[in-house]
Amino acid sequence: MSAIVLDKVSRWYGNVVAVNDVTMTIGPGITGLLGPNGAGKSTLIAMMGGFLAPSAGTVALDGGHVWKNPEIYRRVGLVPEAEAMYDMVTGAQFLLANARLHGLEDPGAAARRALELVDMVDPSDRAISTYSKGMKQRIKMATALVHDPTVLLLDEPFNGMDPRQRLHLMDLLRRLAAEGRTVLFSSHILEEVEQIADHIEVLVAGRHAASGDYRRIRRLMTERPHQYTIASSDDRRLAAALVAEGAADGVTLTNGTLAIQTSDFGRFVHALPRLARDSGVHLLEVSPADESLESVFAYLVAR
Amino acid sequence: MNPVVMQLTVRGLLGRRRSILLLVLPVVLLGLAWLQRLASHGSPTQSAGLTGNFALGTLLPLMCLLIGTGVIGPEIDDGSIVYLLNKPVPRRSILLAKLLVALATTLVFAVLPVAASAAIAGDRDFTLTAAFGVAALLAGIAYTTIFVALSVLSRNAVIIGLLYALLWEGVLGGYVPGVKDVSVRQWALAPAEHMLGADAAGYGVTSAVTVSVGLTLLAVVTVGAAWLGIGKLKTLRLAAAD
Amino acid sequence: MSGPVVPAVPAVPAQPAQPADVIHDIGFRHYDDVRFGRGWVVRSLLVDTLRGVFGLGRPARSKVMPWILVGILLAPPLVIALVAVLTHADTLPISYTQYLSRLQLPIGLFVAGAAPYAVSRDLRFGVLPLYMSRPMLRTDYVWARFSGLAIAMFLITAGPQTLLFIGALLGKMPLGHNLTGWLGGLAASVFLAILLAAIGLTIAAFTPRRGLGVAAIITTLLVVSGVSFALSGIARMQGEDTWSAVAGAIDPYRLVDGVASWVLGVAPANPELAPNTGAEIAVFVMVYVVIVGVCALLLGRRYRKAGRL
Repeated sequence: MSAIVLDKVSRWYGNVVAVNDVTMTIGPGITGLLGPNGAGKSTLIAMMGGFLAPSAGTVALDGGHVWKNPEIYRRVGLVPEAEAMYDMVTGAQFLLANARLHGLEDPGAAARRALELVDMVDPSDRAISTYSKGMKQRIKMATALVHDPTVLLLDEPFNGMDPRQRLHLMDLLRRLAAEGRTVLFSSHILEEVEQIADHIEVLVAGRHAASGDYRRIRRLMTERPHQYTIASSDDRRLAAALVAEGAADGVTLTNGTLAIQTSDFGRFVHALPRLARDSGVHLLEVSPADESLESVFAYLVAR
Repeated sequence: MNPVVMQLTVRGLLGRRRSILLLVLPVVLLGLAWLQRLASHGSPTQSAGLTGNFALGTLLPLMCLLIGTGVIGPEIDDGSIVYLLNKPVPRRSILLAKLLVALATTLVFAVLPVAASAAIAGDRDFTLTAAFGVAALLAGIAYTTIFVALSVLSRNAVIIGLLYALLWEGVLGGYVPGVKDVSVRQWALAPAEHMLGADAAGYGVTSAVTVSVGLTLLAVVTVGAAWLGIGKLKTLRLAAAD
Repeated sequence: MSGPVVPAVPAVPAQPAQPADVIHDIGFRHYDDVRFGRGWVVRSLLVDTLRGVFGLGRPARSKVMPWILVGILLAPPLVIALVAVLTHADTLPISYTQYLSRLQLPIGLFVAGAAPYAVSRDLRFGVLPLYMSRPMLRTDYVWARFSGLAIAMFLITAGPQTLLFIGALLGKMPLGHNLTGWLGGLAASVFLAILLAAIGLTIAAFTPRRGLGVAAIITTLLVVSGVSFALSGIARMQGEDTWSAVAGAIDPYRLVDGVASWVLGVAPANPELAPNTGAEIAVFVMVYVVIVGVCALLLGRRYRKAGRL
């Protein structure tokens, strides 16, 4: 069980602030670091991985500092964003070199195990220069896993993977997290984060915009009204009842659907079944229109 | 002195177009030396001209530049050095391992051919070979270390190295008086001049500094460059996006 | 512009009208005017290369090396001109063509830095398909890059020669003699620029890795020069003056200088080693043509592969 603790971490380059006063704790399980391009995700991961010193604040891994401390790499596996690798060696040789650099007791076995984990055993005797982008990503993943780390930092790991490889990697990450490891991955593709992250950290323009489960974050965003789409047997009657009750801020009647805006989620949720029953309206479908990670994200970015 | 780093470095150095130059240049030098021997019947003065000016003055710094920048420059440039840096290996070991590979390569492909060219082109009791061998060894160690450190310190290491080796040491050294005192080549020639004794002037082997000054400065610059390189590697910022 | 077009729906009860697919005009500007053709494209690339070689339009860092070298190339003529004026000398201490050989190191460093800028970056990052998707051919690209580089090389060799000329004029040296000398020097510069640009571009096209092209070009130039002088020296020791002169053909500077000094009737840079018979000059000219031709061929082959996606 390892945790990375960032305390008021900032990083600036001259006048440009890349990361601005970020405080967060990355614990066991899968955490998704979410943010648009240029938000500072790579900078943050570089600081967590000991590749960049924060201009202010501290980064600690289990209480110990990560900067200028190569020993942390026994516990930390870092998958960098950089595409380049040692092209002239084969995949197996590269993994073996990585295993030996980690000082593992049986580097050959560790390398083979890592290759099996990422399903790269067959092409492992070809030179890396012949690999496709997805294969290189998988080899990168293998280098981060070869020493069985308790912390995994992945910078855009799904970049360039086809759907099958992505599912495979998601599966792998779930398994690793289930074993109690701390997995952090960055992405700007919401579907990926939605599918596997237990916990998300949102970074916008260098600032820490939100943290937690994305549905619960949505609940916290009270300024923007919740939106629901309702299909019922009598939309007009229901709409009138909702407006009269005061449970909805706005209603929109379009062909066959009723769109509701409400800023008081709780009141609406309690009022709807009661009003439907009292008005004699059958509810056919009630679905939240904006409770996806996408709308959460869009809202956070737009703030 | 990490053996895995050394293996990877050797693989990287020999597997590129760079290595073609590293092979061709000593062969060209030795070929010239042999031709000169035939033509001048092994005249030591002619040999000293070839070895002192062409081999030691031009070829050696250029090869050290190719080798020194080649062991670490491309990896820093494309970011693949992260695979060495994200390991529980002290940065000092990484740099020293690469430096060792570079020095060994310089020894085999630059220093030995320079000494051999003196022997082939013409020598008297191997005095020239020994003198130039020592000078080449000292200069080679210094140049290589400086260029390795330069590769870590700057992305434009090759250009800076060229401007130094060719313009500073070569051209300016001839015109501006003080420049000669700050020149690896001059420092390395000092022991050579001493070894050749009275014959030194006849061979055109002169140095602007004394042996003790030369050796001290060489040691200072070599150790200093290595130290600076290690320091910079500890805080190396990788070319990141975002 | 018009909104969605709704087709007239016959009386089908309770059937909502389906809007047709349409693209709205949100301000996208069409361009239907005249578009410049290949010539313009090639010329733009040429000018861009030329400016970029000198660091214009690029960050300050890339201006350092070219302008240091320009300074080094222009400083001696200034000094010479000054000295000539002050001492009322009759002739310049160095001729216009000799100057090119004397300053071969800065000239070589310049092309070593400029050629990789011109071609290596595009090859390294694989952006050639972007160029090829414009109305230009693969050969246009190479031609534009080469011309830009050659013009730049001409400027840095002709510039100092012109300064020398101005110095001579200010020193009230004989006009006619200096004018012909200067024009002859410019002619030599043209041929040297073409040769160096061809060699530099070819080496740079095969060494796209950052820094390697620079080192490879200057190493090649210096080694070839050293070898040619050594061979000449060896030949002279054997009394083979013909071979001693012909050995100069492999060094670009001696190659141009040899032919130029013979054609113009001026003193060569290395008098004892210069070619002076018609046969030797013919060999020199042939070697020049062969080198440029081979470079063109190699470049063509290199870019045949690179232009594909």
